[in-house]
Amino acid sequence: MSDERPRMPLSLRVNGQSIEAVIEPRTMLLDFLRDGLGLTGAKRSCDVQVCGACTVLLDGMPVSACCTLAYEARDRSVLTIEGMLQNGTLHPLQEAFLEHTAVQCGFCTSGMVLATKSLLDANVALSREEIKHYLSGNLCRCTGYWNILEAVESALKSNQESASG
Amino acid sequence: MMLGVFEIHEPQTVNEASALLAEHGEAATVYAGGTELLLLMKEGLVHYPHLINIKTIPDLDQISPDNDALRIGPLVTHWQLEHHKLVQEQASLLAEVASMIANVRVRAVGTLGGNLCFAEPHSDPATLLLAWEATLDLTSANGRRELAIDEFILDMLTTAREHDEILTGITLPLLPPHSGGGYEKFATHERPSATVAAIVQRHNGMTSEARIAVGSVGAVPVRMPEAEAILRDEMPDDAAFEAAADAVSQAVDPIDDLYGSIEYKRNIARVLTIRALTTAAERAAGNKQ
Amino acid sequence: MTDGIAKVGRSVPRVDGRVKVAGAAQFVGDMVVPGMVHGKVLRSPVPHALIKNIDSSQAEALPGVIAVLTGQDVLDIDAYYGHSIKDRPLVAIDTVRFVGEPVAAVAAEDLVTAHEALSLIDVQYEELPTVATLDEALAEDAIQLHEAASLRAGLFHGLGELKPEGNVCYHHAFERGDVSAVFDEANVVVEGEYTFPAVYQYAMEPHTVIAQHDMDSVTVWATCQHPFLVRAELADLFGLVASNVRVIVPYLGGGFGSKSYTKMEPITVALARKAGRPVRIANRVDEAMVTTRRHNMKCWMRTAASADGSLLGREVRLWLDTGAYADNGPRVVATAADAAPGPYRWQGVKVDAWGIYTNTPPAGSYRAFGAAHLTWIGESQVDEIARHAGLDRVEMRSKNLLRPGEEVRPGGKPLDADLISDIEKLARTLDWDEPKTEGVGRGLGVGLLAAGAHPVSSAIVRLEADGVATLSVSTTEMGQGARTVFSQLVAQELGLPMEQVKVLGGDTQVTPYDRSTGASRSTTLAGTAVQHAAQDVREQLLSAATQALDVPLQALSLHDGAVWHGDEMLSYPELFRRYFGLAGGELIGQGRVQPESGQGSYAEGPVFWEVCIGGAEVEVDRDTGRIRVRKLASVADVGQAINPMLVEAQEMGGTMQGLGNALFEEMLFSDGQLLNSTLLDYHVPSMEDMPDAFFSVLAENEDGPGPFGAKGVGEGSLAGVPAAIVNALGDLGIHVDELPLTPERVWRAMQAGEKEKSA
Repeated sequence: MSDERPRMPLSLRVNGQSIEAVIEPRTMLLDFLRDGLGLTGAKRSCDVQVCGACTVLLDGMPVSACCTLAYEARDRSVLTIEGMLQNGTLHPLQEAFLEHTAVQCGFCTSGMVLATKSLLDANVALSREEIKHYLSGNLCRCTGYWNILEAVESALKSNQESASG
Repeated sequence: MMLGVFEIHEPQTVNEASALLAEHGEAATVYAGGTELLLLMKEGLVHYPHLINIKTIPDLDQISPDNDALRIGPLVTHWQLEHHKLVQEQASLLAEVASMIANVRVRAVGTLGGNLCFAEPHSDPATLLLAWEATLDLTSANGRRELAIDEFILDMLTTAREHDEILTGITLPLLPPHSGGGYEKFATHERPSATVAAIVQRHNGMTSEARIAVGSVGAVPVRMPEAEAILRDEMPDDAAFEAAADAVSQAVDPIDDLYGSIEYKRNIARVLTIRALTTAAERAAGNKQ
Repeated sequence: MTDGIAKVGRSVPRVDGRVKVAGAAQFVGDMVVPGMVHGKVLRSPVPHALIKNIDSSQAEALPGVIAVLTGQDVLDIDAYYGHSIKDRPLVAIDTVRFVGEPVAAVAAEDLVTAHEALSLIDVQYEELPTVATLDEALAEDAIQLHEAASLRAGLFHGLGELKPEGNVCYHHAFERGDVSAVFDEANVVVEGEYTFPAVYQYAMEPHTVIAQHDMDSVTVWATCQHPFLVRAELADLFGLVASNVRVIVPYLGGGFGSKSYTKMEPITVALARKAGRPVRIANRVDEAMVTTRRHNMKCWMRTAASADGSLLGREVRLWLDTGAYADNGPRVVATAADAAPGPYRWQGVKVDAWGIYTNTPPAGSYRAFGAAHLTWIGESQVDEIARHAGLDRVEMRSKNLLRPGEEVRPGGKPLDADLISDIEKLARTLDWDEPKTEGVGRGLGVGLLAAGAHPVSSAIVRLEADGVATLSVSTTEMGQGARTVFSQLVAQELGLPMEQVKVLGGDTQVTPYDRSTGASRSTTLAGTAVQHAAQDVREQLLSAATQALDVPLQALSLHDGAVWHGDEMLSYPELFRRYFGLAGGELIGQGRVQPESGQGSYAEGPVFWEVCIGGAEVEVDRDTGRIRVRKLASVADVGQAINPMLVEAQEMGGTMQGLGNALFEEMLFSDGQLLNSTLLDYHVPSMEDMPDAFFSVLAENEDGPGPFGAKGVGEGSLAGVPAAIVNALGDLGIHVDELPLTPERVWRAMQAGEKEKSA
């Protein structure tokens, strides 16, 4: 079944760890992470880069892992939701999601958190409308977004305070 | 949704990429951001056993000043356009439009060149660059040629690019003093139902030059010469904008689809034209450069 | 520290919050069973055809393919299922009836091979005439999708005798008073025809099932809301004893009705049976869309009133398109009929509701079904009568709304909510009496939803010697927060800190019977069972403590994980040591809910009436027809919020889905072919679609049948919002009779209004 399929080596960093693998060129990043590495935090939902459930950060930029070739991650750094945990401790952003009841079924949560992480890392002050626009590519069907927006705003605010203080 | 088997080629030069395209013929295609291509391949609508990754060619992702123009590499992403200082300062409307494309993940990897070469009817940049009179450089092993946007985009998903040609640069002339642009987008789905780009230059309070392009309603973005003529040498006021907008609603050739009926798309094109012209004229009045 | 005293009524954090923000919560798609292979389904490209031949030999020959399942492989069993009507083969046997119907399935070592194998299966169809719309299916000479005689009742319809006829799969009607006399004498009659679209639930996690078939037993890990009903249907299909079928349900990535009853489980089990290996099938979104959807509907309604705005009569005829197979159609028909009169007092009311078969994907449950279909229609007619009578619309409703204890529909449960105080709360939230700026419209809608489903639930609480209580209950955690609310109930009754309560996931072999997770029933029904189970343990604890401390029971209290007698305390572990004589033992409590009498369920009316109240303030772009929602509000008449924050959060989600149903969402078909089968063309509300201001108001009158007077919520807001938005448009003089309110539709309504004015 598989002998004729072309293969290629892939070296990358995932959540800070160096990884060497052999993949098919057509392997999608989402399949590589979920099936290859067992990192199932990124979810498959719409599969057409609309919903954001598969969002991971590639060199800090959010991408749809469902439509990104694993090949694109070569010699680069991938952050998944599993990498947000530091020594078993949640990132303050994740704490903000908890505090504001911004989680219901949890299926969008990994992507939502990572998209927000990229916003946090940019460390720029944003209006509510700008935040909504930035996160409009991450769908949630449970919450109606209000609590997510509140969580994101509070995380951005404390991030900026700690950056300036 | 599953991709067929393919190989990825990593050319180091444009000539090398062109040669690979020539060598593999219809079995090969150019791969850049992949945001449109991989979707179609996953759907099984197209399949290419050879992807020619032009991202391995150096310097195609640069933005640089070039006399009275900006020279934009085809691999510049929407995200870069949105955030690049040169674009923000000298072609802010392009940065504005880039920020409206799809979502942040698509903007992070989608390229301007890829967007144009795909000729998806709902492309935002194509409509804007048509009004802007940007030009495109196409390069192959046989040489280089320059095309205007409307010479380049021929039909839905069809361009004048020869199979072995690579889009190597987009030249965006800087707008002259007393010019301004406006872009209006109307979307009810992920992709827009209608878009209008307008660029207006004023002289002694009058409109000296006006360029309007309408996108998304039909197969390709289209310039609106009748409407532009109505505006020229007239006061940039509501009456003129309405007259031009009426001409636009007549001139467009909408497709009846799930984005809207023909009648409704004509109406939206009219409304967006007024709004884009109003913004453009206001900005032109404020732009003393 | 007051921890341990009052858990109920407090917004404690979700018990599943940490694991979910960490991305570590397990969903079916994240699970791997040893030996598991991957399944893909081949689906029909045509809406109606006979299958002349299937040649799967090439697919079977593809290296890596383990098994190909077709209708020929299920001839040894009675392969038809359907909880209301057994009308559906688990894989097409001789006929396909909709585009997307499973025709074959492949199990392979990997997904890529399974996918490749699909293209190697050659199916020959002989196409049949189609009835792709309600009108086509109802036409006199329409072809019939099913032979009525072949249709058998399913295991769980609960709707009396089913009499399918022609393409009508179910008819439900009731009448009270002399309706035609009421209409003859009325001063004002409002009448209209209305259209409601097919809608996709979009639970973000598409249906996913892992199935393992051994000699005489089946295990499935499934995205299902009703594990015990799935178990029963699987046992029935595969000829097994129900207790030999094990259904395990981890976290669900949203349900909203799309994972109610049986969906992808039978075909996955049949494929696993043939493959002899555990198989996983995961739907894609386009497959989920053709697995189940909301019924589209057409409706005729008229309402009669006197000149002063007193409502007198209502007559309704409605046709719900249930697609090619009934799924939950009959129940949706009955619930829509129940919602049709609205929460008003009538001298005469007559409702006829039909469920109709068409060559489209089957329609089933979606949050607030029935009420979402009807509330906006009835409420727009009430608004129109208010305009005739010159009454303020809140006043109009206060004048006509049912009072607590009044009959809602013949023979059903009387009203158990204070609707007038609810809409007054809503009006205050929206500043109803404040002047509006030009171009702003306000609207509200009130409705009732028959909620609760069949009241059978059970729970077990085990308190162990370490002081930790483990709750076994089969409610599916799909985001609504059931595990958190149940933990609060157990913590409250046992005086335990929240951290010392664990809730097991649903597993029919381990956790006790629960009828279903849906119809807003879990807090009310499963919650009561949980409370009773905890109370059972509480009594045992107290009894043990009276022995251990040798004090009367009345002198004891439980809190902070200990028994207290004045200032003297005995922690539960210490109590266990004294009671059992070792560091072990456990106390087990059980709780149960069952119908009070007779048939329970539908015959006696709903467990409770869920209140559907929405309010909106909108602006309309007159040039494009685009609606901007400035304010959106709902009132959750919750009886008693066990966790107010969770109630508000769930309500806001329902409100946003209501906004999607009202403004955007519509599955578009052409000859039975779905045109917008991806999220590129099916717009689900995003963060940018949020209203400028969002209010979720709680009404807590402790008048529900659940624990501490609680009753269910979460669906009502979805039904109230479209009504509110439609009426806010009406307030601006824009009258619509079709959802969703796309800009083009609103623009056309405005054009039509202009024409009418100038004529």
